Amino acid sequence: MNRIGMLAARHGLRTGALAFVLLTYLTLIGLPGRLADLAMPVLAGVVAIFFWLVLRRSPQLGGIYGSLGGTALWAGLLAGGFYAVLTAFFVGLLANGVRVQLVFDKIVPQNLAALYAVMPGVLLSGELSPVGWLRQVGLLGLAGVVAALLVAGERRLRRRQLPSLAALRWLPLLLPFVLLAAVIGLGSPAVTFGGNNQGTIRLLLAMLAVGSGIFAARAARPGGGRRVLWALLAAALVGLPFLLDQFQNSVMGIVFIFVMMGLGLNIVVGFAGLLDLGYVAFFSIGAYVYAFLAAPFSSPWLIAQLQGWGLPVSGPLVSFWLALPLTMVVAGLGGVLLGVPVLRLRGDYLAIVTLGFGEIIRLFMLNLSELTNGPRGLLNIAPPTVGGYSLGNPRDIFLLALAGAALIALVANRMDGSRLGRAWVAMREDEDVAQATGIHLVYTKLMAFAIGALFAGLAGQLYAARQTNIFPENFSLFVSIDALSLVIVGGMGSIPGVVLGALALKGLPEVLRGVDEYRIITFAALLVIMMIVRPQGILPSLRRGRELQEQGGSRADQPSVLEALPDSAGESSLAKKER
Amino acid sequence: MRWLVRLLGVVVLLLLAWRVAAVGLAEGYPASFWISQTLNGLVLGGVYALIALGYTLVYGILLMINFAHGDVMMIGGFTGFFALQLWIGVGWLDGSALWVVLALVLTVVAGMLGSVLAGITLERVAYRPLRGAPRLVPLISAIGASLFLQYSVLLIFGVTPRAYTRPALIEGGFRAGDVFVPYTGIIIFIVSLVLMLALYLIVQRSKLGRAMRAVAEDKSTAALMGINVDQVIVFTFILGSALAGAGGVLLGFHNTVVKFNSGFIPGLKAFTAAVLGGIGNIPGAMVGALLLGLIEALGPSALGIPTEYKDIIAFSVLVLILIFRPSGLLGEVLSEKKA
Repeated sequence: MNRIGMLAARHGLRTGALAFVLLTYLTLIGLPGRLADLAMPVLAGVVAIFFWLVLRRSPQLGGIYGSLGGTALWAGLLAGGFYAVLTAFFVGLLANGVRVQLVFDKIVPQNLAALYAVMPGVLLSGELSPVGWLRQVGLLGLAGVVAALLVAGERRLRRRQLPSLAALRWLPLLLPFVLLAAVIGLGSPAVTFGGNNQGTIRLLLAMLAVGSGIFAARAARPGGGRRVLWALLAAALVGLPFLLDQFQNSVMGIVFIFVMMGLGLNIVVGFAGLLDLGYVAFFSIGAYVYAFLAAPFSSPWLIAQLQGWGLPVSGPLVSFWLALPLTMVVAGLGGVLLGVPVLRLRGDYLAIVTLGFGEIIRLFMLNLSELTNGPRGLLNIAPPTVGGYSLGNPRDIFLLALAGAALIALVANRMDGSRLGRAWVAMREDEDVAQATGIHLVYTKLMAFAIGALFAGLAGQLYAARQTNIFPENFSLFVSIDALSLVIVGGMGSIPGVVLGALALKGLPEVLRGVDEYRIITFAALLVIMMIVRPQGILPSLRRGRELQEQGGSRADQPSVLEALPDSAGESSLAKKER
Repeated sequence: MRWLVRLLGVVVLLLLAWRVAAVGLAEGYPASFWISQTLNGLVLGGVYALIALGYTLVYGILLMINFAHGDVMMIGGFTGFFALQLWIGVGWLDGSALWVVLALVLTVVAGMLGSVLAGITLERVAYRPLRGAPRLVPLISAIGASLFLQYSVLLIFGVTPRAYTRPALIEGGFRAGDVFVPYTGIIIFIVSLVLMLALYLIVQRSKLGRAMRAVAEDKSTAALMGINVDQVIVFTFILGSALAGAGGVLLGFHNTVVKFNSGFIPGLKAFTAAVLGGIGNIPGAMVGALLLGLIEALGPSALGIPTEYKDIIAFSVLVLILIFRPSGLLGEVLSEKKA
């Protein structure tokens, strides 16, 4: 074998081994059982995509189709061979009555049988024909070939000049309306509680419509046309709740409650650069304050107090609207109170202390059962009302969340360019330099915490009104992580990014209800991959994106918007400096 | 500003002292209670130390919080559990004392191997591609990795907690006066001390240890001196994960169960311990961990608050330390240059 052949073989074997690990993992988490008869083709598809991603990055194989094909074939056959042996081993164990499930929870006949496209009983009786194993090897070898063809085709395509797409630039502007039309076309708003496919598709389409609307709003060029487009998009957004059914509206409601929260966190993390891992604290303060006001009868301590003052305890103390300023003030104060002790902390330390705060508040809510009714929670929280009409149904909650998110987005947008907003950016880039230029660090930091907390409090109040019952578990660390992740996935410091992030992280999992089990690992893996491939987020704020591009070098996948920016040397030299 | 913080610190200390004197000591627990609680605290502290060292080592070199470290420990706990089941299946635990000891040692070793494998993979997949990125990026990646490890274990091994069986040899304990001393406690404490000593020797005496310290001081200069920085970083992860794996197995014997999220809280506590001692500082992590173990064991009774607030105590310690002495008790030795 010549040298290139050797190289191809070695590369192929390594890739194949990785693919085998991937396959083993997917089998152990029980994916084949879920895919039923499609298991093997789907796994082969996954492997083909994996090979393609690996092979297109191997420049030493460039242009040599023979060695590329060889590499891929080697990889596929190796992965297939190992995989066939592994599954055969498990099948053997199961057929001999070994309870593999005691160790590997998902290695059950049903899961493995899907790989051979047979009934589970066939496995246990040991009547499996060797054709099934050959099928595995064959399909995975085929995956290798397909991947090689893909890479070769891609390289050939790239060498050719593609026709200019400038004439079609208006097309993305139309997309949200097309999607909306599809939502309408897919059926009238009947009451369905998820589960049915058509409803799920409508939900997905609605979310895609919102997402593409954001892209369209961003892509539009300045001018009169843009105003019209924005007005149309806004009208479509307001109309959306009336097109969806209860389940879809309730999902969209929670998405936009998280948008509200994400916009607040975006101020703390994105604008001011203060990494807050305990942001749920303010969310829970908002929710609990409203719950105390709207459902005092759930809290033993409050009942005692109110009776002591001779007040009625059966109904809410104040209405949703009157509670708004109260929650905002309390949450904002909470932000200042938790902000004061951490004024001196930076970076990671700040993250961990805020995480500690978040947990402390949750533990207090869990254990102060006199006040918060402990794990039994506060129940029957009154929904907002307008003139006697209750706004508690999912559609109205979605509308309220939309209004809240729009309001917060507007405020945040105005703040970004304000004196305070610029002070935040300066502080984020370099605290010492910011202080030297006359920025009052204490005030600036506390304002970031307070305003962020205030928005989270608002989101919390709406959340409490939506849930009607709240429990300490609703406010675990995972809420903080969700909020932070959606800010980061969307693009730090970017307001439209927050909406996209919330749609991707809170909305998509609802669509994926069917594969609920794999929700969190998919999300976790996405988080890691996102940080590696595109750390600036889906829709980065222009400034942030540029910083990361400077630092990430060639690794970061650079969006074209950024390249059009004028060079600003001063900013990047600051950004390069480690804190 | 600074004197105000110091003043506040003194006030907090005085308040705590008053609370201990007025409530905790007034309860009138017997001396044996305090002694056995102290022993519990030391045992717990020993385990925390093993985990805390991993945080400190990685932070000292990469200046990042390895958020998934607790889960690496949990994986060690699982590997140890399966190894133990294997020895039970082979019948070693029914054999003579020598076999039992061998099986226990091998259980710890298996736990260490499992964790090392997880740690290396973690570094290679989730952290190495991000070196040189802004500090928030690896932290997010670490959070993702942590969730991924937890829920992968949940999916692969199922929800049911796995119960460690203690061999009869180490079950029980002895009485010294009124104080009951369990054998597992002694073993856990001794094992963690031995491992910590080994780590200290590796870092201070071996060639790789010297390279580690050099890389912690300054990566690029170290590279210029002919040190393979990538290799040293991998070695750091191996050391930290091995200790965490041992910690996972010991914690398994201590708590008797492991499950998919059993790494999370100990991980946070160990991180607290590392910060308490001064993150990046190896002796600091050990001291901080022992101290945190003691605070947790003695705190609730000394302050006269219900034990449900145990976790609050740990977090409060973290918050207080960071506010009043952010560099920890012994200060950041390794990362002084970057502070």
